[in-house]
Amino acid sequence: MSIPRARLLDLMRARCELFATTFNPEGLRTGNKILRQRLKGPALASYYPRKRVTFGQFQKAFAPLELEVEDEKEQDRLEHIAALKARGKGAPKKRKEQQKNKKK
Amino acid sequence: MSMFRAKKFDLGCYTNIQIIRDHSKRKAFEAAEPERQALRYIIRNTTLPARTRAIAQLQLTQMHCYTRPTQIRNRCILGGKGRGILSDFKMSRFNFRLQALAGNLPGVKKASW
Repeated sequence: MSIPRARLLDLMRARCELFATTFNPEGLRTGNKILRQRLKGPALASYYPRKRVTFGQFQKAFAPLELEVEDEKEQDRLEHIAALKARGKGAPKKRKEQQKNKKK
Repeated sequence: MSMFRAKKFDLGCYTNIQIIRDHSKRKAFEAAEPERQALRYIIRNTTLPARTRAIAQLQLTQMHCYTRPTQIRNRCILGGKGRGILSDFKMSRFNFRLQALAGNLPGVKKASW
């Protein structure tokens, strides 16, 4: 009472058609599992939070309403630089074009 | 590799060079992922000629290392640490503890029984 292989294959083919799967009776490795995988790039690339609004944009948004927003960090930085320069400890000035040409 | 780095700084979390590097690796991988998957498909497909598959293998290994997913490592968004990260919170274990005790993480509370 053994069923011929051809008949079993027919059954398999019909089953594959019904359930929309690929008919691969030899079990060959076609690499389809790679195509079935979802792309994980977008999920990985959105790991770190992105910069949304900068302080400059914030200030600009309020400028038409004639509201001034003070950037405390920036002011602190400028004050610090001014203090350094007053003591003569500031960053040196950029050298001019002529000196550059001379060195070359 | 600076050619993968964003021309304009685009991170909103704590930043150090390791985080910038990891971020550019993530973006490089995202850009190259379809190509990598196509090559991987060719390599795994045993019905294709052996020569094609060997060429695909070579091409995949010769892609830049920044496009490899194994180069990506989760880092703490508060301190940039690379070890002891709770990936659900994207934080290192100590930063997680500080934030949880301060009540900044909804639904997280100290166990006690």
